[in-house]
Amino acid sequence: MPDNWTFVAVAYGLTGLVLGLYWRHLVRKEKELRQIKPSRSVTGVAEHNHEPSRTGHPRPKQDAKSSLQQ
Amino acid sequence: MVRALGWISAAALAVGLVMAFGVAPREVTQGNVQRIMYVHPPLAWVAYLAFGLVAGASIVYLVRRRPAADRLAHASAEVGVLFTGLAIATGSIWGKPTWGTWWTWDARLTSVAILFVMYLGYLLLRGTVEDRERAARYCAVLGIVAALDMPLVHFSVYWWRTLHQPPSLMKPGGFSGSAAILWPLLVNLAAFTILFAYLVAKRVRLLRAETEALA
Repeated sequence: MPDNWTFVAVAYGLTGLVLGLYWRHLVRKEKELRQIKPSRSVTGVAEHNHEPSRTGHPRPKQDAKSSLQQ
Repeated sequence: MVRALGWISAAALAVGLVMAFGVAPREVTQGNVQRIMYVHPPLAWVAYLAFGLVAGASIVYLVRRRPAADRLAHASAEVGVLFTGLAIATGSIWGKPTWGTWWTWDARLTSVAILFVMYLGYLLLRGTVEDRERAARYCAVLGIVAALDMPLVHFSVYWWRTLHQPPSLMKPGGFSGSAAILWPLLVNLAAFTILFAYLVAKRVRLLRAETEALA
């Protein structure tokens, strides 16, 4: 039987790619949460952060739903 | 702790890769395509483990109403769906050169596809029910019911005539192949299990942080 190395490469490559993307998704979500957390006071009430966000996107308004709430 | 688990899983996966390509011999009948065996059964094993954990954590949640149990079930289901999807994909890639087809509706493949769809539904249910407590309760019931498909998946190769081969390891009498094939398989099984533990721990931590952020 021929070796079919292409199939082997695709199987391992796909597994690595998907698991890597999922890991990166978790890391990104964690970073996103870390950015949200400091903007909250100890009483748990969100305070407005006047500094621009690190991504350059406008920060969500206090009453607006965050991406995590959607 | 979670970070350490991540490094251990990365190291274990690297060792597994070396074992699969450097230590394991070329199989006589299938040739090198048989090396997919060092990734496909470990993925399927982790899927079993993940959904078993979902069922266990769901029972704990229904009995004791502990949010931690619900978070564990949620995280485990998510990672389990990922591993099941990959197990189906790698099996299909292995099937083409050996069976001559990407997919066939035999009992093993069909029961795994049903398992995959059920846990996909589990994740969709979490996203659609707004009340968190109610979503947790519904998902706990679904997580237990869906786990009933697992024995069907495992024993399908014995109960029906299937194109899929019987299990290599989890069978009466144990593994019948050579040690040169067994060890790379065991190392990869361990590596993927550690990776699963790492991803679930990371996801659980994230779910807890999300709950705290939304509170």
